[in-house]
Amino acid sequence: MTVGGGLIGARVSRAEDVRLLTGRAVFIDDVRPPGVLEAAILRSPHPHARIVRIDTTAAAAHPGVVAVVTGADVKSMVRRPQPLIWRSAPDGPETVAYPLAVDKVLYTGHGLAAVAAVDRATAEDALELIDVEYEPLPAVTTLEQALAPDAPRLHEDWPDNVAGRAVVAQGDVEAAFARADVVLRETFRFARQWGASLETRGVVATWDPFTSHLDAWVNTQSPHLIRELFAEVLGLSVDKVRVRVPDIGGGFGSKSGFYGDQVVAAVLSRVSGRPVKFLEDRRESFVATVHAREQRIDVEVAARSDGTITGLRGTVHGVLGANFSTVGLSPCWTTAAVMTGPYAIPAVELNVVGVVTNKPPYGAYRGYGLPKANFVHEHVVEALARRLDLDPHEVRRRNFVTEFPYQSPVFVYDTGRYAECLDLCRDAVRRAGWADRVTRARAEGGHLGIGYAFHNEVSAFAPSRIVNMSGLDHSGFDEAAVRIDSTGRVSVHTGQTSMGQGIHTALAQVAAHALDVPLDHVTVISGDTDSAPYTGYGTAASRAAAVGGAAVLNAATRLRAKVLRIAAHVFEASPDDLEISEGVVSVKGVPGRGVTLADIGDAAYRRPHGVLPDDEDPTLHEREVYDPVNVATAFGCTAVLASVDVETGVVELLGYLIAHDCGTVINPMIVEGQLQGGAAQAIGGALYERLAYGGSGEALTRSFAEYLLPTAGVVPPFGIDHLETPADHIPGGFKGAGEAGVIGGGAAIAHAVEDATAEFGVRITSLPITPPDLLAAIRAGAER
Amino acid sequence: MKAARFDYVRAATADIAVDALARGAVALAGGQSLIPLLNTRSRRPEVVVDVSRLPLTGVEEDGSTLVLGALTRLRAAETSPVVRRAVPLLAEALTHVGHVSVRNRGTVGGSVAHADPAAELPAVCLALDAVFTAQGPGGTREVDARDFFRGPHRTALASDELLTGIRVPLPPPTARHGIAELSRRPNDLAITAVFTSITLTDRVVAEARIAVAGAAPTPIRAHAAEELLRGQALTPEVLTAAADAAAAATDPVDDVHAPAAYRRDMTAVLTRRALRQAVVG
Repeated sequence: MTVGGGLIGARVSRAEDVRLLTGRAVFIDDVRPPGVLEAAILRSPHPHARIVRIDTTAAAAHPGVVAVVTGADVKSMVRRPQPLIWRSAPDGPETVAYPLAVDKVLYTGHGLAAVAAVDRATAEDALELIDVEYEPLPAVTTLEQALAPDAPRLHEDWPDNVAGRAVVAQGDVEAAFARADVVLRETFRFARQWGASLETRGVVATWDPFTSHLDAWVNTQSPHLIRELFAEVLGLSVDKVRVRVPDIGGGFGSKSGFYGDQVVAAVLSRVSGRPVKFLEDRRESFVATVHAREQRIDVEVAARSDGTITGLRGTVHGVLGANFSTVGLSPCWTTAAVMTGPYAIPAVELNVVGVVTNKPPYGAYRGYGLPKANFVHEHVVEALARRLDLDPHEVRRRNFVTEFPYQSPVFVYDTGRYAECLDLCRDAVRRAGWADRVTRARAEGGHLGIGYAFHNEVSAFAPSRIVNMSGLDHSGFDEAAVRIDSTGRVSVHTGQTSMGQGIHTALAQVAAHALDVPLDHVTVISGDTDSAPYTGYGTAASRAAAVGGAAVLNAATRLRAKVLRIAAHVFEASPDDLEISEGVVSVKGVPGRGVTLADIGDAAYRRPHGVLPDDEDPTLHEREVYDPVNVATAFGCTAVLASVDVETGVVELLGYLIAHDCGTVINPMIVEGQLQGGAAQAIGGALYERLAYGGSGEALTRSFAEYLLPTAGVVPPFGIDHLETPADHIPGGFKGAGEAGVIGGGAAIAHAVEDATAEFGVRITSLPITPPDLLAAIRAGAER
Repeated sequence: MKAARFDYVRAATADIAVDALARGAVALAGGQSLIPLLNTRSRRPEVVVDVSRLPLTGVEEDGSTLVLGALTRLRAAETSPVVRRAVPLLAEALTHVGHVSVRNRGTVGGSVAHADPAAELPAVCLALDAVFTAQGPGGTREVDARDFFRGPHRTALASDELLTGIRVPLPPPTARHGIAELSRRPNDLAITAVFTSITLTDRVVAEARIAVAGAAPTPIRAHAAEELLRGQALTPEVLTAAADAAAAATDPVDDVHAPAAYRRDMTAVLTRRALRQAVVG
């Protein structure tokens, strides 16, 4: 069903903004139950060490300290190790990790004991009184170190440091390479990065010793998943766990997993008998929240001389942390699963190798594996064009998927108009006059360049059977309820989470559109597992608007039918002859005599007599469980104008244009905000962000002075054009938009830099592009 | 992280502050460097003496010297018409210090006393032969900028001395200045920055000052480069020779943002740019 007109597609201001901008939001640190204690976690100073002895006596005796637990204490109070929900390499070993380290610490920052005290400062004072004797062990922090034959093993019962292998394959690769006119080979490296939110992660856990209930406030993207996993780990039935989500200051995937510190807070509450808050401070967030992105990818590409890509093979090495995060090596598997991107490459064989290193766990970050896959296939397109002396856009066109549905190595692409989207982006570049700017700048000795990247994105990652088949031990469907109350106002109940992205506004628009009521008559309610409908997985994987929106649309559409049936009874007319406009039901063509939704609500709840048909149940409430049959593939094209200072290696971005298609757009402003935020993170990943480690495994980036996020000063103005190709299988036609901005940015920036430095023949095969590295490449090119 | 426990004293007079320093206190002015160090427990003083209310603010110029009270906020100095007219190099350099919100709180004395090797203000003071006034238990003394910076975050101030003022000899009205700063993002701490002040007579350099931040354990003066420029017209060859001489004077270290060799190379590039900017304006 495609919807036109009305509030779907309307550029309306976000309902969330007044609260957020006037300081009326309630974030996790604002949750302060009476008697709450604050926790702090003792973290290892060593990248790899055996815990010989740990003595908490002095800490426990410190004034103001209420509870102290070690890793062994926590282990004794849980039913099982930290759960892994996504097994991308089913035959591989699994890490056995408890919320705190028990025998060995495996990375700098690995927690090994925790204190609950009257305030955080006191808890930190007590941490200094915990006496730990470590036996330092050699550490591995790079892929090459981890794979070396004599490498120290992180997990002593494993034969080596390989955490799993998987293969993504389709077609006859041997034949493709045997018949190739050209073969390209390249190695790519992506630095370790993470999804840093303005608000750090936190939990406020209250254990009720009389009823054995856990009541946990968590700033999580996945309240239902967290509830299930709390129950598994603590050995509780699910009804004994309540997860509530306050306002969230940014998620980006790093708030989607189930973290050991959440269990630690629950255990400390159980031990102390009081509510316990654990809130990461900024410094520890660099080691306590999952890292992401770090990979080495080796590929070979077979192609014909006309630019047709016939084969792709290689290996994705995931440089994981010491222990699995909730999602294991699935981000690296995803890189392989989507590496053909928007191109119809018939033969593919990609190995995925996950390797453990003495670094924090590797998990989700906006884009998941996609930015790396995009960087690879877009580099391949540009390199092939250079080799064959073709226009890279011609190579893109020649290889685009044009027939839908299309079976890629893993996913089926639903709909797409890739060539039109590419044209839309190139038109935007023409309108912006970039080519003239480049020419003028070059005439004056400057180095400007334009780069492109085309991406597609497996969004609406929801179909429960497909996600289960991918190794994910969790469903992806979404449940929603839509109600009209006795005054005719609408409430939408969703399991999705609001984390600054505007999902409440988007879902309100969908409901208001379907019911033909004013937008401000709709309230969206979310965030409490005791009352919210169930969502599989959570608010991640570009699925909230698409899947949550479809569920709300179906529920609201059924509710509309009930409203019309009741009104039809009043009018003594057929429901088909009625219409709703701005919350008033009237007979088509007779606008003057209407029945308001308040009238119908009153009949449904308070005074049914004479209004509610005999065969209608009281109340106005519809529930929908929506589990799509397929994912939805969004797509887009990014163009970047960059300037390179060839004496310093400094890159400045001057322009950034995106043509984007996420199916039916619910609110263009929200989609644009998503694209811009994602693009800012792409800029960070391309030019600034790197979690660095020293030669003996020590963490070098422990604050925002070392880990550089993109600031307003480095983010250029954006221009965004929308194309709308509805998902043909999702009610409303929505596709996901949350991750799109981050996917193509790295490749587009790299290509702009390559274009700007074409005279030096610079090739970008690793991210981020730092000034010293780029200058070295420019100088090497100048000497050739 | 939360700071370790400390006692807090707000000094009503400089004497009280000095007395507290003599008993082991550290001085809190604008707090832009000290507070993060306290919160990360990198510094754990018994006592913090808050000097921010002392009447050590203000900007004066007497025809030969610009005098800045140590507690003058960076933003106040930056936007002072007196500073802008009398020592434009200083006013412009201050626009590179942190972000506006940092400059609103941070003080000129705090920036100098913190002595970050990559900071702008210490380097500019060095370029302009500033003199620092320090008050200790025995009274006040003056320390030349060239003797003041001893290492990363180390100065000639004794632990019981409070920096109270900065005296900057006015450059001649014909002096021109140039600043070339390289930082990863706008207003980040510099990777390397070069500050120049030159006076030309008939297109020949009469006087040259070159200071470099972020390329040695302290800010440095590129004396050899200055010497090389004096009496010369600024031809490309002379610029290159001066730039190379400035780079040779550096003693940089590796860090997460750039290797030492890059900082040395950039000193040459930035020196050339700063000198060119000084000439071209």
